[in-house]
Amino acid sequence: MAVTREALLKYLSKKTRADLSKIDDTTELFSSGMVDSFAMVDLLMWLEKQTGARVNPDDVSIDNLDSIERILAYAASRKR
Amino acid sequence: MSAASSSGTAPGIVVVGSPRSGTTLLRRVLDAHPNIACPPETYLFGAAARFLHADEFAAGLRIGVVDGLSFAGFPEDEVLGRLRGLVFGFLEDYAKKIGKPRWAEKTAFDAFHLDAIRRLCEGHVKFVCIHRHGLDVALSLGDLVAKTGGYVDELHAYMRRYPEPLEAMARAWVDAATAVAELAEASDDALSLRYEDLTAAPEVELRRVFEFLDEPYDEELLGRALAGTGGVGFGDWKTYARAKVDRSSVGRWKTLPTPVQVKLAGICNPTLERLGYEPVETEDEDAEEARRRYELGLLLNRMKQDKGEGE
Repeated sequence: MAVTREALLKYLSKKTRADLSKIDDTTELFSSGMVDSFAMVDLLMWLEKQTGARVNPDDVSIDNLDSIERILAYAASRKR
Repeated sequence: MSAASSSGTAPGIVVVGSPRSGTTLLRRVLDAHPNIACPPETYLFGAAARFLHADEFAAGLRIGVVDGLSFAGFPEDEVLGRLRGLVFGFLEDYAKKIGKPRWAEKTAFDAFHLDAIRRLCEGHVKFVCIHRHGLDVALSLGDLVAKTGGYVDELHAYMRRYPEPLEAMARAWVDAATAVAELAEASDDALSLRYEDLTAAPEVELRRVFEFLDEPYDEELLGRALAGTGGVGFGDWKTYARAKVDRSSVGRWKTLPTPVQVKLAGICNPTLERLGYEPVETEDEDAEEARRRYELGLLLNRMKQDKGEGE
């Protein structure tokens, strides 16, 4: 299943206390502390469920996970 | 029976709520009112509850002060009246000392002694009951324990039974919040409010509180409450560092790992719903998912390390 921007934002709003109305697609989520480690692990598990593909160890990187834009791009690359 | 003071003055006010539910904020607001004196936590009612404690055995005999004194010819009403006089007397004297006509009392751990406090106070005081989301309370109780370096008796009782601290704190909240809800539902002299509503719309909620207390509300009240310490003493240490109503701790429970949320939801959800909160969503995890979560956590730690080295 494709991960849409809307679904991702809905998920993040449920799982974090970040004010998502104040961010854009390039805002740093993890580096800025807006999304903490616990929420990021939740997000990885959610991505695995949504895409149906396991996250490879080398994929757990800032390049893939630090913004809405990067997460969506990574999810699209993992879609089965 | 409705609350009335024997002296014809307005009845005393007792604030009850689970510890870490905003009781100190309420205390500061009450104390800022020109007609109300609310000292820092006195522990008077908890002590009175211990005075009234009786052990009950299978034969039905209650062993404690009230029954002991009944054998000496002092009926229960008289014992309660004398105890009430002692406890209320300190609070009346405090109010007189600072030149206000009415007393209020708030000691957060009173929520664990409500049966005895109701026995002593119902019909003689007005209760202001405050609730807060149970998972936020559990987290905040954990902070309190870390700050004080130990458990007060009321919390230690739960820690002895439940070795996971957050579970113990959540169960303590369930018991305290349930006792407060039962009081609010049963008594005409009780008003309920929620911390989340109080911090979102303080003026609306406080107007409701003071209307219930038959006291005028003025728009400067909240500002006065937050400007001063209202007397230093026992109570929430955080509130003294805040000059405005602060919502930063509302919904903090969302930062808990999902498995912890799931566990606490199982404990707290029925009580949350009773109090009008949305239940916390639960998604049970099997052993394989728990293992995967652990693996991803380790990978994420590595990512944090790489990020640190890259900076």
